Amino acid sequence: MRYARSVLPPVVVGVVAIILWQVTVTAGRIAPFILPAPSAIWDEFVVQRANIWEAALASGANALIGLIAGAVLGVLAAMASSRFRPLAEVSLPFAAVLNALPIIALAPILNNMFESTSSIPRRLVAAIIVFFPVFINTLRGLREVNPIHQELMRTYAASGWTFARKVRLPGALPHVFTGLRQASSLAVIAAVVAEYFGGLQNGLGSRITSAAAFTAYPRAWAFVVGACLLGLVFYLTTLLLERLAMPWRTRLIA
Amino acid sequence: MSAVVVSSVTKTFNPGRPDEVVALSDVDLTVGDGEFVSLIGPSGCGKSTLLRLIADLIAPTTGTVTVAGKPAGVARKEQAYGIAFQQSGLFEWRTVLRNVELPLELRGLAKAERKAKAEEMLALVGLEEFAGHYPAQLSGGMQQRVAIARALAVQPPLLLMDEPFGALDEMTRERLQSELLAICAKTGTSTVFVTHSISEAVFLSDRVVVMSARPGRITASIPVGLPTRDEAARQSEHYFESVTAVRQALRGTPLKSAS
Repeated sequence: MRYARSVLPPVVVGVVAIILWQVTVTAGRIAPFILPAPSAIWDEFVVQRANIWEAALASGANALIGLIAGAVLGVLAAMASSRFRPLAEVSLPFAAVLNALPIIALAPILNNMFESTSSIPRRLVAAIIVFFPVFINTLRGLREVNPIHQELMRTYAASGWTFARKVRLPGALPHVFTGLRQASSLAVIAAVVAEYFGGLQNGLGSRITSAAAFTAYPRAWAFVVGACLLGLVFYLTTLLLERLAMPWRTRLIA
Repeated sequence: MSAVVVSSVTKTFNPGRPDEVVALSDVDLTVGDGEFVSLIGPSGCGKSTLLRLIADLIAPTTGTVTVAGKPAGVARKEQAYGIAFQQSGLFEWRTVLRNVELPLELRGLAKAERKAKAEEMLALVGLEEFAGHYPAQLSGGMQQRVAIARALAVQPPLLLMDEPFGALDEMTRERLQSELLAICAKTGTSTVFVTHSISEAVFLSDRVVVMSARPGRITASIPVGLPTRDEAARQSEHYFESVTAVRQALRGTPLKSAS
Protein backbone atom coordinates (compact mmCIF):
# COMPACT_ATOMS: atom_id res chain seq x y z
CA MET A 1 0.00 0.00 0.00
CA ARG A 2 2.74 2.43 1.00
CA TYR A 3 4.75 1.22 -1.97
CA ALA A 4 1.84 1.89 -4.31
CA ARG A 5 1.36 5.35 -2.88
CA SER A 6 4.98 6.30 -3.52
CA VAL A 7 5.11 4.81 -7.03
CA LEU A 8 1.69 5.83 -8.32
CA PRO A 9 2.05 9.65 -8.54
CA PRO A 10 5.18 9.72 -10.75
CA VAL A 11 3.72 6.99 -13.01
CA VAL A 12 0.47 8.91 -13.44
CA VAL A 13 2.32 12.14 -14.20
CA GLY A 14 4.54 10.32 -16.71
CA VAL A 15 1.58 8.70 -18.52
CA VAL A 16 -0.34 11.99 -18.63
CA ALA A 17 2.74 13.77 -20.03
CA ILE A 18 3.14 11.18 -22.81
CA ILE A 19 -0.56 11.39 -23.71
CA LEU A 20 -0.36 15.19 -23.84
CA TRP A 21 2.73 14.93 -26.02
CA GLN A 22 0.96 12.52 -28.39
CA VAL A 23 -2.15 14.68 -28.62
CA THR A 24 -0.16 17.89 -29.14
CA VAL A 25 1.91 16.41 -31.94
CA THR A 26 -0.98 14.78 -33.83
CA ALA A 27 -3.59 17.51 -33.30
CA GLY A 28 -1.13 20.36 -33.72
CA ARG A 29 0.36 18.78 -36.86
CA ILE A 30 3.88 19.39 -35.65
CA ALA A 31 6.39 18.30 -38.24
CA PRO A 32 8.08 15.03 -37.25
CA PHE A 33 11.56 16.54 -37.69
CA ILE A 34 10.74 19.07 -34.98
CA LEU A 35 9.16 16.65 -32.53
CA PRO A 36 8.09 13.11 -33.41
CA ALA A 37 5.10 11.61 -31.64
CA PRO A 38 5.79 9.13 -28.84
CA SER A 39 3.97 6.47 -30.84
CA ALA A 40 6.40 6.96 -33.74
CA ILE A 41 9.38 6.78 -31.38
CA TRP A 42 7.95 3.63 -29.83
CA ASP A 43 7.49 2.02 -33.28
CA GLU A 44 11.12 2.77 -34.14
CA PHE A 45 12.20 1.51 -30.74
CA VAL A 46 10.51 -1.84 -31.41
CA VAL A 47 11.92 -2.08 -34.96
CA GLN A 48 15.43 -1.15 -33.84
CA ARG A 49 15.44 -3.08 -30.57
CA ALA A 50 18.25 -5.42 -31.61
CA ASN A 51 20.41 -2.48 -32.75
CA ILE A 52 19.62 -0.50 -29.64
CA TRP A 53 20.50 -3.48 -27.46
CA GLU A 54 23.82 -3.98 -29.23
CA ALA A 55 24.77 -0.30 -29.14
CA ALA A 56 23.70 -0.09 -25.50
CA LEU A 57 25.93 -3.04 -24.66
CA ALA A 58 28.90 -1.32 -26.30
CA SER A 59 28.22 2.03 -24.58
CA GLY A 60 27.39 0.27 -21.33
CA ALA A 61 30.70 -1.60 -21.34
CA ASN A 62 32.58 1.65 -21.98
CA ALA A 63 30.70 3.46 -19.24
CA LEU A 64 31.16 0.59 -16.78
CA ILE A 65 34.90 0.27 -17.35
CA GLY A 66 35.30 4.04 -17.12
CA LEU A 67 33.16 4.15 -13.98
CA ILE A 68 35.10 1.40 -12.23
CA ALA A 69 38.51 2.81 -13.19
CA GLY A 70 37.56 6.38 -12.26
CA ALA A 71 35.93 5.33 -8.99
CA VAL A 72 38.85 3.15 -7.89
CA LEU A 73 41.30 5.94 -8.69
CA GLY A 74 39.08 8.48 -6.97
CA VAL A 75 38.85 6.44 -3.77
CA LEU A 76 42.58 5.65 -3.74
CA ALA A 77 43.49 9.29 -4.36
CA ALA A 78 41.14 10.38 -1.57
CA MET A 79 42.68 7.86 0.81
CA ALA A 80 46.18 9.06 0.01
CA SER A 81 45.12 12.70 0.34
CA SER A 82 43.44 12.15 3.68
CA ARG A 83 46.51 10.34 4.98
CA PHE A 84 49.07 12.94 3.92
CA ARG A 85 47.79 16.45 4.48
CA PRO A 86 50.20 18.19 2.06
CA LEU A 87 48.95 15.91 -0.69
CA ALA A 88 45.38 17.06 -0.09
CA GLU A 89 46.44 20.69 -0.33
CA VAL A 90 48.05 20.02 -3.69
CA SER A 91 45.47 17.63 -5.10
CA LEU A 92 42.30 19.60 -4.25
CA PRO A 93 43.01 22.57 -6.53
CA PHE A 94 44.27 20.14 -9.13
CA ALA A 95 41.03 18.17 -8.95
CA ALA A 96 39.05 21.42 -9.12
CA VAL A 97 40.85 22.35 -12.34
CA LEU A 98 40.16 18.89 -13.70
CA ASN A 99 36.50 19.34 -12.88
CA ALA A 100 36.27 22.78 -14.47
CA LEU A 101 37.72 21.37 -17.68
CA PRO A 102 34.99 20.45 -20.20
CA ILE A 103 36.17 16.85 -20.36
CA ILE A 104 33.99 16.03 -23.33
CA ALA A 105 36.05 18.58 -25.25
CA LEU A 106 39.02 16.30 -24.73
CA ALA A 107 37.30 13.53 -26.68
CA PRO A 108 38.49 14.61 -30.17
CA ILE A 109 42.05 14.97 -28.91
CA LEU A 110 41.98 11.60 -27.20
CA ASN A 111 40.43 10.04 -30.29
CA ASN A 112 43.44 11.18 -32.29
CA MET A 113 45.87 9.87 -29.69
CA PHE A 114 44.64 6.30 -30.15
CA GLU A 115 43.76 4.17 -33.15
CA SER A 116 40.30 4.61 -34.62
CA THR A 117 39.39 1.05 -33.59
CA SER A 118 40.30 1.66 -29.96
CA SER A 119 37.70 1.86 -27.21
CA ILE A 120 40.18 3.51 -24.86
CA PRO A 121 39.33 7.19 -25.59
CA ARG A 122 35.66 6.83 -24.64
CA ARG A 123 36.54 4.90 -21.50
CA LEU A 124 39.18 7.46 -20.60
CA VAL A 125 36.68 10.31 -20.92
CA ALA A 126 34.22 8.44 -18.70
CA ALA A 127 36.91 7.66 -16.14
CA ILE A 128 38.09 11.28 -15.91
CA ILE A 129 34.53 12.53 -15.49
CA VAL A 130 33.83 9.94 -12.80
CA PHE A 131 37.01 10.68 -10.88
CA PHE A 132 36.07 14.10 -9.54
CA PRO A 133 32.76 13.50 -7.72
CA VAL A 134 34.09 10.26 -6.23
CA PHE A 135 37.35 11.87 -5.11
CA ILE A 136 35.78 14.96 -3.53
CA ASN A 137 33.00 13.11 -1.73
CA THR A 138 35.25 10.33 -0.46
CA LEU A 139 37.81 12.83 0.80
CA ARG A 140 35.10 14.69 2.67
CA GLY A 141 33.89 11.44 4.22
CA LEU A 142 37.37 10.34 5.23
CA ARG A 143 38.02 13.66 6.91
CA GLU A 144 34.80 13.71 8.92
CA VAL A 145 35.71 11.35 11.73
CA ASN A 146 33.70 11.53 14.94
CA PRO A 147 36.16 12.83 17.59
CA ILE A 148 34.84 10.26 20.08
CA HIS A 149 35.65 7.46 17.65
CA GLN A 150 39.12 8.90 17.35
CA GLU A 151 39.62 8.93 21.13
CA LEU A 152 38.14 5.47 21.52
CA MET A 153 40.47 3.98 18.94
CA ARG A 154 43.34 5.67 20.73
CA THR A 155 42.34 4.01 23.99
CA TYR A 156 42.34 0.68 22.11
CA ALA A 157 45.91 1.47 21.03
CA ALA A 158 44.83 1.01 17.40
CA SER A 159 47.43 1.60 14.68
CA GLY A 160 46.90 4.09 11.86
CA TRP A 161 46.05 1.35 9.38
CA THR A 162 43.58 -0.36 11.72
CA PHE A 163 41.97 2.99 12.34
CA ALA A 164 41.65 3.63 8.60
CA ARG A 165 40.19 0.20 7.94
CA LYS A 166 37.77 -0.05 10.85
CA VAL A 167 36.69 3.56 11.31
CA ARG A 168 37.63 5.92 8.50
CA LEU A 169 36.57 3.77 5.55
CA PRO A 170 33.23 2.49 6.83
CA GLY A 171 32.48 5.99 8.13
CA ALA A 172 33.17 7.41 4.67
CA LEU A 173 30.95 4.90 2.83
CA PRO A 174 27.84 7.10 2.73
CA HIS A 175 29.93 9.85 1.13
CA VAL A 176 31.55 7.43 -1.32
CA PHE A 177 28.10 6.39 -2.51
CA THR A 178 26.94 9.99 -2.83
CA GLY A 179 29.85 10.42 -5.23
CA LEU A 180 29.14 7.15 -7.03
CA ARG A 181 25.49 8.02 -7.57
CA GLN A 182 26.46 11.23 -9.36
CA ALA A 183 29.25 9.44 -11.19
CA SER A 184 27.14 6.54 -12.48
CA SER A 185 24.91 8.74 -14.63
CA LEU A 186 27.85 10.90 -15.68
CA ALA A 187 29.74 7.82 -16.88
CA VAL A 188 26.92 6.87 -19.26
CA ILE A 189 26.59 10.43 -20.56
CA ALA A 190 30.35 10.59 -21.14
CA ALA A 191 30.49 7.22 -22.92
CA VAL A 192 27.60 8.17 -25.23
CA VAL A 193 28.58 11.75 -26.00
CA ALA A 194 32.28 10.99 -26.53
CA GLU A 195 31.26 9.14 -29.71
CA TYR A 196 29.95 12.38 -31.23
CA PHE A 197 33.58 13.34 -31.73
CA GLY A 198 34.80 10.37 -33.73
CA GLY A 199 36.64 7.29 -32.60
CA LEU A 200 35.14 3.82 -32.75
CA GLN A 201 31.48 4.11 -33.83
CA ASN A 202 29.62 1.19 -32.27
CA GLY A 203 27.73 2.74 -29.37
CA LEU A 204 24.53 4.70 -28.82
CA GLY A 205 26.16 8.07 -29.52
CA SER A 206 27.12 7.24 -33.09
CA ARG A 207 23.64 5.75 -33.77
CA ILE A 208 22.01 8.98 -32.60
CA THR A 209 24.21 11.19 -34.77
CA SER A 210 23.87 9.03 -37.86
CA ALA A 211 20.07 8.75 -37.52
CA ALA A 212 19.86 12.52 -37.11
CA ALA A 213 22.11 13.01 -40.13
CA PHE A 214 19.68 10.93 -42.20
CA THR A 215 16.80 13.02 -40.79
CA ALA A 216 15.40 9.82 -39.30
CA TYR A 217 14.30 11.67 -36.17
CA PRO A 218 12.04 9.04 -34.63
CA ARG A 219 14.96 6.59 -34.88
CA ALA A 220 17.34 9.11 -33.29
CA TRP A 221 14.82 9.54 -30.50
CA ALA A 222 14.54 5.77 -30.08
CA PHE A 223 18.28 5.59 -29.44
CA VAL A 224 18.03 8.53 -27.04
CA VAL A 225 15.43 6.53 -25.14
CA GLY A 226 17.91 3.64 -25.13
CA ALA A 227 20.61 5.92 -23.68
CA CYS A 228 18.16 7.13 -21.05
CA LEU A 229 17.34 3.55 -20.03
CA LEU A 230 21.04 2.70 -19.87
CA GLY A 231 21.68 5.66 -17.55
CA LEU A 232 18.75 4.55 -15.41
CA VAL A 233 20.14 1.01 -15.15
CA PHE A 234 23.49 2.40 -13.97
CA TYR A 235 21.86 4.68 -11.44
CA LEU A 236 19.56 2.01 -10.00
CA THR A 237 22.38 -0.52 -9.80
CA THR A 238 24.40 1.98 -7.78
CA LEU A 239 21.44 2.53 -5.48
CA LEU A 240 21.11 -1.23 -5.00
CA LEU A 241 24.82 -1.56 -4.26
CA GLU A 242 24.52 1.26 -1.75
CA ARG A 243 21.76 -0.58 0.10
CA LEU A 244 23.71 -3.83 0.08
CA ALA A 245 26.92 -2.14 1.24
CA MET A 246 25.26 -0.28 4.10
CA PRO A 247 22.74 -2.61 5.73
CA TRP A 248 22.66 -0.44 8.85
CA ARG A 249 20.87 2.23 6.84
CA THR A 250 18.37 0.08 4.98
CA ARG A 251 17.25 -1.69 8.13
CA LEU A 252 16.24 1.67 9.53
CA ILE A 253 13.92 2.27 6.60
CA ALA A 254 12.42 -1.22 6.65
CA MET B 1 48.61 -1.08 44.86
CA SER B 2 46.47 1.87 43.84
CA ALA B 3 44.44 1.83 40.64
CA VAL B 4 45.36 5.41 39.79
CA VAL B 5 47.98 7.76 41.18
CA VAL B 6 48.09 11.33 39.89
CA SER B 7 50.88 13.32 41.46
CA SER B 8 51.55 17.06 41.17
CA VAL B 9 50.01 17.23 37.72
CA THR B 10 49.66 20.52 35.90
CA LYS B 11 48.09 20.87 32.49
CA THR B 12 48.43 24.02 30.42
CA PHE B 13 46.79 24.26 27.01
CA ASN B 14 48.44 26.42 24.33
CA PRO B 15 51.42 27.33 26.53
CA GLY B 16 53.16 30.58 25.67
CA ARG B 17 50.32 31.77 23.44
CA PRO B 18 47.79 34.54 24.10
CA ASP B 19 45.05 31.91 24.52
CA GLU B 20 47.00 30.01 27.15
CA VAL B 21 44.74 28.20 29.63
CA VAL B 22 45.81 26.56 32.87
CA ALA B 23 43.33 23.69 32.96
CA LEU B 24 44.78 21.93 35.97
CA SER B 25 47.14 23.20 38.59
CA ASP B 26 49.04 20.98 40.98
CA VAL B 27 46.57 18.09 41.21
CA ASP B 28 47.13 15.03 43.41
CA LEU B 29 44.68 12.16 43.34
CA THR B 30 44.83 8.53 44.38
CA VAL B 31 42.16 5.98 43.55
CA GLY B 32 42.36 2.77 45.55
CA ASP B 33 41.72 -0.68 44.13
CA GLY B 34 38.02 -1.27 43.74
CA GLU B 35 37.24 2.29 44.79
CA PHE B 36 34.52 4.34 43.09
CA VAL B 37 35.59 7.99 42.88
CA SER B 38 33.52 10.80 41.38
CA LEU B 39 34.99 14.05 40.09
CA ILE B 40 32.54 16.91 40.42
CA GLY B 41 32.82 20.61 39.80
CA PRO B 42 31.55 23.51 37.68
CA SER B 43 32.15 23.60 33.93
CA GLY B 44 35.73 24.41 33.11
CA CYS B 45 37.15 23.02 36.35
CA GLY B 46 39.18 20.49 34.41
CA LYS B 47 37.42 17.31 35.54
CA SER B 48 37.22 15.96 32.00
CA THR B 49 40.82 17.03 31.43
CA LEU B 50 41.86 15.07 34.50
CA LEU B 51 40.02 12.00 33.19
CA ARG B 52 41.69 12.34 29.80
CA LEU B 53 45.08 12.60 31.50
CA ILE B 54 44.44 9.32 33.31
CA ALA B 55 43.36 7.79 29.99
CA ASP B 56 46.55 9.13 28.35
CA LEU B 57 44.44 10.84 25.69
CA ILE B 58 46.41 13.98 26.54
CA ALA B 59 49.78 14.34 28.26
CA PRO B 60 50.38 16.33 31.45
CA THR B 61 52.51 19.47 31.23
CA THR B 62 54.23 18.54 34.48
CA GLY B 63 53.78 15.73 36.98
CA THR B 64 53.13 12.02 36.51
CA VAL B 65 50.10 9.78 36.04
CA THR B 66 50.32 6.12 37.05
CA VAL B 67 47.64 3.54 36.26
CA ALA B 68 47.90 0.13 37.93
CA GLY B 69 51.52 0.85 38.81
CA LYS B 70 52.49 1.68 35.23
CA PRO B 71 52.88 4.99 33.41
CA ALA B 72 49.56 6.03 31.84
CA GLY B 73 50.89 5.56 28.29
CA VAL B 74 51.89 1.96 28.95
CA ALA B 75 48.57 1.26 30.66
CA ARG B 76 46.68 2.60 27.66
CA LYS B 77 48.58 0.39 25.24
CA GLU B 78 47.77 -2.61 27.43
CA GLN B 79 44.09 -1.62 27.49
CA ALA B 80 44.28 -1.45 31.28
CA TYR B 81 41.11 0.63 31.40
CA GLY B 82 37.73 0.88 29.71
CA ILE B 83 36.24 4.26 28.88
CA ALA B 84 32.77 5.66 28.22
CA PHE B 85 31.76 9.18 27.25
CA GLN B 86 28.64 11.30 27.43
CA GLN B 87 27.89 10.31 23.84
CA SER B 88 27.87 6.58 23.40
CA GLY B 89 30.20 6.86 20.39
CA LEU B 90 29.00 3.55 18.97
CA PHE B 91 30.04 2.67 15.44
CA GLU B 92 26.77 2.93 13.52
CA TRP B 93 27.89 0.47 10.84
CA ARG B 94 28.48 -2.31 13.35
CA THR B 95 25.79 -4.29 15.07
CA VAL B 96 25.51 -4.01 18.84
CA LEU B 97 27.42 -7.26 19.26
CA ARG B 98 30.19 -6.24 16.89
CA ASN B 99 30.51 -2.90 18.68
CA VAL B 100 31.17 -4.68 21.95
CA GLU B 101 33.56 -7.02 20.14
CA LEU B 102 35.71 -4.20 18.76
CA PRO B 103 38.13 -3.74 21.70
CA LEU B 104 38.53 -7.53 21.85
CA GLU B 105 39.13 -7.66 18.12
CA LEU B 106 41.95 -5.14 18.47
CA ARG B 107 43.42 -7.26 21.20
CA GLY B 108 43.64 -10.08 18.71
CA LEU B 109 41.15 -12.47 20.33
CA ALA B 110 39.83 -15.34 18.24
CA LYS B 111 36.41 -14.87 16.71
CA ALA B 112 34.51 -17.41 18.81
CA GLU B 113 36.14 -16.21 21.99
CA ARG B 114 35.33 -12.56 21.47
CA LYS B 115 31.76 -13.38 20.46
CA ALA B 116 31.26 -15.32 23.68
CA LYS B 117 32.79 -12.55 25.76
CA ALA B 118 30.75 -9.83 24.03
CA GLU B 119 27.54 -11.80 24.55
CA GLU B 120 28.41 -12.15 28.21
CA MET B 121 28.88 -8.37 28.49
CA LEU B 122 25.59 -7.69 26.72
CA ALA B 123 23.86 -10.00 29.16
CA LEU B 124 25.45 -8.03 31.98
CA VAL B 125 23.76 -4.83 30.78
CA GLY B 126 20.57 -6.71 29.87
CA LEU B 127 20.72 -6.28 26.12
CA GLU B 128 21.43 -9.81 24.88
CA GLU B 129 18.30 -9.79 22.70
CA PHE B 130 19.56 -6.73 20.84
CA ALA B 131 22.89 -8.20 19.75
CA GLY B 132 21.92 -8.15 16.06
CA HIS B 133 20.48 -4.63 16.07
CA TYR B 134 22.25 -1.57 14.75
CA PRO B 135 22.87 1.28 17.23
CA ALA B 136 20.47 3.66 15.50
CA GLN B 137 17.65 1.21 16.23
CA LEU B 138 18.18 1.59 19.99
CA SER B 139 17.10 4.29 22.43
CA GLY B 140 19.67 6.64 23.97
CA GLY B 141 19.71 4.72 27.25
CA MET B 142 20.23 1.41 25.47
CA GLN B 143 23.04 2.87 23.39
CA GLN B 144 24.74 4.05 26.56
CA ARG B 145 24.41 0.57 28.04
CA VAL B 146 26.07 -0.87 24.95
CA ALA B 147 28.87 1.67 25.39
CA ILE B 148 29.32 0.50 28.99
CA ALA B 149 29.32 -3.14 27.89
CA ARG B 150 32.00 -2.23 25.36
CA ALA B 151 34.07 -0.44 28.01
CA LEU B 152 33.86 -3.54 30.20
CA ALA B 153 34.53 -6.03 27.39
CA VAL B 154 38.25 -6.43 28.02
CA GLN B 155 37.44 -6.76 31.74
CA PRO B 156 39.68 -3.84 32.63
CA PRO B 157 40.65 -3.26 36.26
CA LEU B 158 39.75 0.41 35.80
CA LEU B 159 36.68 2.10 34.33
CA LEU B 160 36.82 5.76 33.26
CA MET B 161 33.51 7.50 32.67
CA ASP B 162 32.94 11.05 31.45
CA GLU B 163 29.35 12.04 32.28
CA PRO B 164 28.07 8.80 30.76
CA PHE B 165 24.49 9.42 31.91
CA GLY B 166 24.51 13.18 31.30
CA ALA B 167 22.29 13.06 28.22
CA LEU B 168 19.70 10.65 29.64
CA ASP B 169 16.37 11.30 31.31
CA GLU B 170 16.18 11.03 35.09
CA MET B 171 14.45 7.63 35.19
CA THR B 172 16.83 5.94 32.80
CA ARG B 173 19.72 7.57 34.56
CA GLU B 174 18.76 6.17 37.97
CA ARG B 175 18.25 2.69 36.56
CA LEU B 176 21.63 2.77 34.84
CA GLN B 177 23.29 4.04 38.03
CA SER B 178 22.05 0.98 39.91
CA GLU B 179 23.13 -1.31 37.07
CA LEU B 180 26.58 0.25 37.00
CA LEU B 181 27.01 -0.22 40.73
CA ALA B 182 25.97 -3.85 40.50
CA ILE B 183 28.44 -4.45 37.68
CA CYS B 184 31.29 -2.72 39.51
CA ALA B 185 30.56 -4.70 42.66
CA LYS B 186 30.46 -7.94 40.71
CA THR B 187 33.66 -7.33 38.76
CA GLY B 188 35.61 -5.44 41.43
CA THR B 189 36.40 -2.67 38.97
CA SER B 190 37.85 0.63 40.17
CA THR B 191 36.01 3.59 38.70
CA VAL B 192 36.66 7.26 38.04
CA PHE B 193 33.38 8.94 37.24
CA VAL B 194 33.03 12.53 36.02
CA THR B 195 29.69 14.18 36.65
CA HIS B 196 28.14 17.53 37.44
CA SER B 197 25.22 16.04 39.33
CA ILE B 198 25.68 16.13 43.10
CA SER B 199 23.06 13.45 43.76
CA GLU B 200 24.61 11.14 41.18
CA ALA B 201 28.09 11.58 42.64
CA VAL B 202 26.92 10.93 46.20
CA PHE B 203 24.79 7.93 45.34
CA LEU B 204 27.47 6.18 43.32
CA SER B 205 30.72 6.98 45.04
CA ASP B 206 32.90 5.80 47.83
CA ARG B 207 34.48 9.22 47.63
CA VAL B 208 33.52 12.48 45.92
CA VAL B 209 36.38 14.69 44.76
CA VAL B 210 35.33 18.33 44.45
CA MET B 211 37.11 20.59 41.98
CA SER B 212 37.00 24.30 41.30
CA ALA B 213 37.77 26.32 38.21
CA ARG B 214 40.40 28.82 37.06
CA PRO B 215 42.77 27.25 37.64
CA GLY B 216 41.33 23.74 37.88
CA ARG B 217 42.26 22.19 41.20
CA ILE B 218 40.97 19.78 43.79
CA THR B 219 39.39 21.63 46.73
CA ALA B 220 37.90 18.78 48.75
CA SER B 221 37.70 15.03 49.00
CA ILE B 222 34.56 13.83 50.73
CA PRO B 223 34.15 10.17 51.69
CA VAL B 224 30.56 8.99 51.28
CA GLY B 225 30.27 5.23 51.42
CA LEU B 226 26.56 4.67 51.75
CA PRO B 227 26.01 1.37 53.58
CA THR B 228 23.56 0.20 50.89
CA ARG B 229 22.91 1.45 47.36
CA ASP B 230 19.17 1.01 46.89
CA GLU B 231 16.05 3.16 46.85
CA ALA B 232 16.17 3.43 50.63
CA ALA B 233 19.70 4.82 50.40
CA ARG B 234 18.42 7.70 48.27
CA GLN B 235 16.14 8.68 51.17
CA SER B 236 18.58 8.13 54.02
CA GLU B 237 19.95 10.70 56.43
CA HIS B 238 23.50 9.80 55.46
CA TYR B 239 22.71 10.49 51.80
CA PHE B 240 21.34 13.98 52.45
CA GLU B 241 24.20 14.84 54.79
CA SER B 242 26.68 13.90 52.08
CA VAL B 243 24.78 15.88 49.44
CA THR B 244 24.94 18.92 51.72
CA ALA B 245 28.64 18.41 52.37
CA VAL B 246 29.40 18.22 48.64
CA ARG B 247 27.24 21.25 47.92
CA GLN B 248 29.07 23.26 50.56
CA ALA B 249 32.41 22.19 49.21
CA LEU B 250 31.33 23.24 45.71
CA ARG B 251 30.30 26.69 46.97
CA GLY B 252 33.53 26.98 48.89
CA THR B 253 31.70 28.18 52.03
CA PRO B 254 29.67 26.38 54.68
CA LEU B 255 25.94 26.97 54.31
CA LYS B 256 24.56 29.64 56.60
CA SER B 257 21.40 27.69 57.24
CA ALA B 258 19.30 25.82 59.74
CA SER B 259 21.81 23.62 61.52
